[in-house]
Amino acid sequence: MLQSFTSYLNQPVTPGEAGNYIWATIYILVVVAGVSLAVMIMNWGERKALAHMQIRLGPMRVGPHGLLQPVADAVKLLIKEDIMPAEADKVVFWLAPVATVITAWTVFLVVPFGRTHAVTDMNIGILFMLGVSSLGVLGIVLAGWASNSHYPLMGALRSSAQMVSYEIAMGLAVVCAVLMTSLSGTGTLSMIGIVEAQRDQGLWFIFKFFPLGFIAFMVFAVAMIAETNRAPFDLPEAESELVAGFHTEYSGFRWSLFFLAEYSAMVAVSSIAVTLWLGGWLRPFAGFHGPHITIPYYWEGGAVDFAFSLLPALCFFLLAFFCLIGVVRMPKIPQLKIQTIGLAGLGLLLGFVGLVLLIPAVRDRVQDIFWFAAKVALFMYLYIWYRGTFPRYRFDQLMKVGWKVLLPLALGVLILTAVVGVLQ
Amino acid sequence: MSVSLGPLIRKALMVDLLKGLKVTFTYQHPKEIVTEQYPLQRPVISERYRGLHRLNVNPETGETLCIACDLCAQACPEKLISLTSERNPVTKRKELRSYTLDISRCMFCGLCEDACPSDCLEMSQDYEIATYSREGFIFDRQRLEAGPQPTVYKR
Repeated sequence: MLQSFTSYLNQPVTPGEAGNYIWATIYILVVVAGVSLAVMIMNWGERKALAHMQIRLGPMRVGPHGLLQPVADAVKLLIKEDIMPAEADKVVFWLAPVATVITAWTVFLVVPFGRTHAVTDMNIGILFMLGVSSLGVLGIVLAGWASNSHYPLMGALRSSAQMVSYEIAMGLAVVCAVLMTSLSGTGTLSMIGIVEAQRDQGLWFIFKFFPLGFIAFMVFAVAMIAETNRAPFDLPEAESELVAGFHTEYSGFRWSLFFLAEYSAMVAVSSIAVTLWLGGWLRPFAGFHGPHITIPYYWEGGAVDFAFSLLPALCFFLLAFFCLIGVVRMPKIPQLKIQTIGLAGLGLLLGFVGLVLLIPAVRDRVQDIFWFAAKVALFMYLYIWYRGTFPRYRFDQLMKVGWKVLLPLALGVLILTAVVGVLQ
Repeated sequence: MSVSLGPLIRKALMVDLLKGLKVTFTYQHPKEIVTEQYPLQRPVISERYRGLHRLNVNPETGETLCIACDLCAQACPEKLISLTSERNPVTKRKELRSYTLDISRCMFCGLCEDACPSDCLEMSQDYEIATYSREGFIFDRQRLEAGPQPTVYKR
């Protein structure tokens, strides 16, 4: 029994390909939990980073440096009164947040966190992701319509117009990357296949046919911000114009579902960008192994590979170190005793995770997850950074950028990529 | 065709956007932060600030400086001050018996402070005068002489 359970771990395929339902379920649960955790960290990180950009402090009171703020927020949202407007369409009002969350989470089925770390590998993976994630706009339109109120309706209208116009540029940019996969044998739409094509060609697609890959990536990077309704393209929920846009009438748990969906969608499109252009789970300089070294019972292979394999653990040790510095610098007064103990506990936990990551069996399995997560985290920071910097576009400017700049650019890059690919 | 290439190239390379990004990035340095952690850190209040009133006492003897001349009560445009006094039969001087000040309608104009001939009534720098009841705004002699008693928080 246990044998059949653990035997999957030795297979170099995803549970979906292996047809292993138990492990597929476990993977789904882990992915959903991981994404929720990422949303919580993102919530805290966004408030902190944005505050620092605006020379403020951000959350400081709930836990050391506001670390428990997302937990406090979640509890607050769950115990808030659930208000449904009297004039609202009850069924659709209920359905809208559910639809948004389901679409935002379903796309994570095919996100490859590593060669074996995806729920499944679909041969139409990227198409599936784009298709399902664009269904998210349906939830927004439903929410705007069902609220039966003018601000949400305006937000929903804007959102649908924006998503429809940016999806085209986004799709064309994706096709560029898919074209590039066909240079190493047969082209593929599978998310895992795209990353493997980048490994086989020894080049991330962002550097392919420079600057063609880079321009396609930039088009996608702009379109994905518009697609997730984030600043500077946050017209659907423009606070200063539309109160909160499509979720004006939502409160408490339903609102938190929209929040969850928005941030999950951000993680999802960032993972598309990472998979298509930044080499997915591949580490930087993946083709460079260095001289062969042997450490008894621990390592057998390239020195550079070894150095990179220690990075995840080092990363956690660094976080633990910061926590312990915080413990030492915390004033020794009775009111802060619990906070100090909590921070020390967190530091020890992070240090323990770092130690676990040094075990060879674990170390070799989490490599790809670490690099994928690091790249996605970079995109998350960029989201915050843009939000802290750029003012919101006017609606006609938004349409102009979408149709008159991004679309011709993406078309041109697509044609050039095809030409260069054939000539090569 | 006379299209100036400079601005177009600037736009294509997103020079202005990158400049903006640089500004926000550099402002993330902790030394830039100006936020005050209010109950823990308090701002320095100017000497001229007209906060809650205080009745000064002689620091050596602990006796009040008030000579019960009633000038502050007469100077107050809102008639918020009332005091009673009695003549000491030994020294033949007026001595203060009670002093009440209702700050619920006080506009902190400072006329009472200007009127005081003995520098007894003074407006302190205390700005934390919120209270839970209307009665809490009526200050008697004891509270006015004690001066501000802010809650002290420690980090």
